[in-house]
Amino acid sequence: MTSNELCYLTLTEAAAGIRRKDFSPFELTKACLERIDSIDGKLHSFITITADVAFQQAQEAERALLSGMGRGPLHGIPIALKDLYATKGIRTTCHSAVLEHWIPVDDATAVTKLRAAGTILLGKLGMHEFAFGGPSVDAPFPAVRNPWNTAHIPGGSSSGSGAALAAGFCYGALGSDTGGSIRTPSSHCGVVGIKPTYGRVSRYGVIPLSWSLDHAGPMARSVEDCALLLHAIAGYDSKDPASANIPVTDFHIGLKDGIKGLRVGVPRTHWFDENKGTDPETETVFDEALKVLGNLGATIVEIDGRPFSTARKANQTMLVAEAYAFHEKHLQNTPEKFGSSVRRRLLEGAFLSAADYITAQRARTALNEQIRANFSRVDVFATPSAPRPPEAFESMDPNEQNLRPSFTNPFNLTGLPAISVPCGFTEGNLPVGLQIVARPFEEPVVLRTAYAYEQATEWHKRRPPL
Amino acid sequence: MANEISFAELRSIAELSGLKLSEDELQRLLPGVNRSRTQGAELRDLMTDNLEPASAFSTQKV
Repeated sequence: MTSNELCYLTLTEAAAGIRRKDFSPFELTKACLERIDSIDGKLHSFITITADVAFQQAQEAERALLSGMGRGPLHGIPIALKDLYATKGIRTTCHSAVLEHWIPVDDATAVTKLRAAGTILLGKLGMHEFAFGGPSVDAPFPAVRNPWNTAHIPGGSSSGSGAALAAGFCYGALGSDTGGSIRTPSSHCGVVGIKPTYGRVSRYGVIPLSWSLDHAGPMARSVEDCALLLHAIAGYDSKDPASANIPVTDFHIGLKDGIKGLRVGVPRTHWFDENKGTDPETETVFDEALKVLGNLGATIVEIDGRPFSTARKANQTMLVAEAYAFHEKHLQNTPEKFGSSVRRRLLEGAFLSAADYITAQRARTALNEQIRANFSRVDVFATPSAPRPPEAFESMDPNEQNLRPSFTNPFNLTGLPAISVPCGFTEGNLPVGLQIVARPFEEPVVLRTAYAYEQATEWHKRRPPL
Repeated sequence: MANEISFAELRSIAELSGLKLSEDELQRLLPGVNRSRTQGAELRDLMTDNLEPASAFSTQKV
């Protein structure tokens, strides 16, 4: 097996190879770090590479596995973390000059769980500064580039997570999602990412953007890999006030049961054509994906898109207000440390009134009821993950982004589990993602639907021309 | 538009909030601020008398 082939194994395949002793955790780690060293100069997906930590963890994993002390499928698997997960003794920057030299004294709970599962930490990944705004062109670290075409954005805010996976630098990654920050880069980079139900994965140690909308979750190159990672990091945590005390099932159970009889709701009317609307090429790819779901035995049902469309307004109001509250002191005292894009977005929160925020919270109650009412007719919702393919850096207009429909942020507002899985490419060879959403804590349904689609298609097997 | 603010009001709120922003930066902020305030105001159409905020306090959580 070539080094390139080794790096592009799925996490599941890499875990099986370790068990068969086809290769060792040390060999996997070395292959990933060499690939990062040779290619990441043009992608900038990593902010900090923890090679010493990684090699030490790889040797420990090898010793444990050889002595029969294996901890499960993630033991010996190289992964990477969005640089807003606190890592004890390892710099955690949020891609910002504000935290450029911050070294946490504790791990985030999800990081603790991944360490306990025996994963190997390759490093910390680039992102949109403080998970907000757009690509951070004036931050102390360069903006992450899309492996499919480095002139294009990788999507954000978990941009490094998406790019590193697409480039074959790691087998799994963690992202975070407040309005689409796991699903958008997953879509734009041609990988898989799941935003679990709000409360399913602890946010302790994840630097907040908006407390009531933030979700932590995994990204990987296959649905099965996401199921493995999610199983490792999910569960109640008393350190997170929003953590849900609901048992975690094995997300592998039922994964391969198929979707015959599944009712798929498509909230197209009054949403896909909002303002500047969905890119026609994206909608064509999405319609082809619906045909695949239909061929697998699902029924497609059109539902009213209006509450989904309105959800964006409540989501944005809450997000901006809470984000400003979190960053207020630094914005007052050291505003120059923020990049221009994130500073402008954060400052908007200073000019919203208390009534605006409470109104958004009341709208959340109403929209949650209206959106969930559809589950009497359908089992899941399906949309494109993003309204258009990744834009070129050169032509990117952050203001126009706010005029397009957002297919992701209604599910931050409602806290529903949502996944993005590759579903095609544009004529320009840029990836398009399919989003599947289910009832609260029905991650198994989301994963089963995405897995059925993934296995019926070949999109997830394509690799960027690096 | 309902809920929009003027440049003078923006400058005044910035000062009250302890934000030291240049005139240029305030000018750049104004369209985004008014977009945010307008879309927030549009949510008022959803309001009914018995609609409570989603962020409810509970004595059962410590």
